[in-house]
Amino acid sequence: MFNPLDHKGLPLESQIRNWRELNVEPIDPEAVDPYTRCRIITMNGIEVEAINFQHQFARNCPDQEVRRQLAYVRYVESQQQRVVNWLLPGVASVLETTLGYEQVAVDLTAWVARHEPDPYLKQAYEFGVLEDFDHLYRYANLYEMVERRKAEKIVDGLTEVMPGRPTVQEHRHPFDEVRTPYDRNSVDPRSKLNALTILSAEQQVMFYYMNVGPQYMEPIARQLYQEISLIEQEHVTHYESLVDPGETWWERLLTHEYNECWLYYSFQQQESDPRIKAVWELHLQMELAHLQQAADLLRRHDGREPEEIVGSAGLPEPLTFEPNKEYLRHLLATQIDLTKLGEGYVREAHERFEWMQQQVHDGQQPPSEQVIDLHRDRFGDEYRIETEGPHPVAGLRARGGSHD
Amino acid sequence: MTDTGARTTYEEDVVDLLLAQHARIEQLFLLVIGGTGDIRREAFDDLVKLLAAHETAEEEVVHPLARGLPGGGGDAMVDERLAEERQAKETLRTLVAGGVDAEGFETGIILLRDAVLTHARYEERHEFPRLRQHVPAEQLRGLAAAVRAAEATAPTRPHPGAQSATANLAMGPALAVIDRIRDAVRKPSEGKR
Repeated sequence: MFNPLDHKGLPLESQIRNWRELNVEPIDPEAVDPYTRCRIITMNGIEVEAINFQHQFARNCPDQEVRRQLAYVRYVESQQQRVVNWLLPGVASVLETTLGYEQVAVDLTAWVARHEPDPYLKQAYEFGVLEDFDHLYRYANLYEMVERRKAEKIVDGLTEVMPGRPTVQEHRHPFDEVRTPYDRNSVDPRSKLNALTILSAEQQVMFYYMNVGPQYMEPIARQLYQEISLIEQEHVTHYESLVDPGETWWERLLTHEYNECWLYYSFQQQESDPRIKAVWELHLQMELAHLQQAADLLRRHDGREPEEIVGSAGLPEPLTFEPNKEYLRHLLATQIDLTKLGEGYVREAHERFEWMQQQVHDGQQPPSEQVIDLHRDRFGDEYRIETEGPHPVAGLRARGGSHD
Repeated sequence: MTDTGARTTYEEDVVDLLLAQHARIEQLFLLVIGGTGDIRREAFDDLVKLLAAHETAEEEVVHPLARGLPGGGGDAMVDERLAEERQAKETLRTLVAGGVDAEGFETGIILLRDAVLTHARYEERHEFPRLRQHVPAEQLRGLAAAVRAAEATAPTRPHPGAQSATANLAMGPALAVIDRIRDAVRKPSEGKR
């Protein structure tokens, strides 16, 4: 397998882009492969995390020379983020991008859950994916109400649209969001990459919703973004708590760069749009040089070799955007009624869960329920895409019909 | 509102109607660009009629209303939209005259699609929200009824016997639709002035 530690990549001094290179042509929203959009959204989240992580590192680093090195790479990562996110077209609406974000959250998390070697971590992804799956359904109903278009236009039948774990049930006590971290010394390196990838994606979803939500005039849209952005914040707590807090800054920097190499390598392998593929190829070459720098810093300041952190076997199997319909239906059928207690998972609505539900809902219907009722009022049914048959949970089948 | 248990039936306003038309226009472009033979021809016929009806409704209703509203780009912004519409009409005229089998149709239809859909998004972002903010809801609903009534009198899809004669279509039936819409929307809006 490709081992990024064996490659020098593009020299750092050749990585600054000019205006012409930054001014990328966006994808055509009417003809794009939905999974190309997903790859763009994913890599944007990854680059945003890279920038924010390095800012935090710099604020905690007393060594001026290291701060300068971090500042340089951070500038390059910033340009990478601008290029990647600017591939999204201006004609797409906020809600269309939102549907893309949720498609990412569903199919990315499902893939990671299927490939995670550690059972406790796997459970964390299986738990989370059913919630993003539900968000996709709520936003799809909002989309038809507010923009009169169908989510099919965005997800294109690759991802089903129907209820997951109902968002109303996702408001848990913050204490119960905190998971047990993996042990950095014994965990499979693949698990580190999985955790960082999903953490970055969910964090970007949170940032996006908490900032774009108020741009809407329609009250139901404003309220739905507010509600779901709070769930996304819970998800960030959930996923970030999986990461061993004992990892050193040098170690974390290395994992970040290695993870970027894994994802750009994965996406360049499967990209259907040659123009976008060229971006992934270029960015891989840039990340290889960032990885070299991180490896040097690790050796110098931590006295360790990068292989001790990420292994010597090279990259894991490429992360792939592909339909996960059967897997998701299996999870829906078996885990829909789970909630969390302490650092584990339970089926009963325990006292702390009920307390939090009471505080937040306070006898009112949350926006995530209102949006479905409003859709029923306007269109006589709710919006779903059930390509593989009726909902696997009888109680979540459409009342009075659905359409797609 | 859901707490009360008593909901009023939702009545579409003219913005809902125009949004639904934008969605339909997007779908028809997909069919024309992705389709071949009769599917393409029929979809193109539908598209031409819908565009004619839609742009007329916007010229008669949306832009005049938007022009007078506070907080927007005012005349300059409306003029930009009108210029875009004129440009799109020119392209459309060329495509209709040549028909779906003409050389250059492939390129032309993509150009038209990009122009029309970009234009639609501008309206959705800048004009429609201001209409909803400043124009009484009742008036917006009344205009929807007028636009709908005018459209209903003209079939959006040619009858089976009369289909596909693109030369025949060349703006004839489309113009009839435009006239009906003009008549229908002018009456109520003039009445209010």
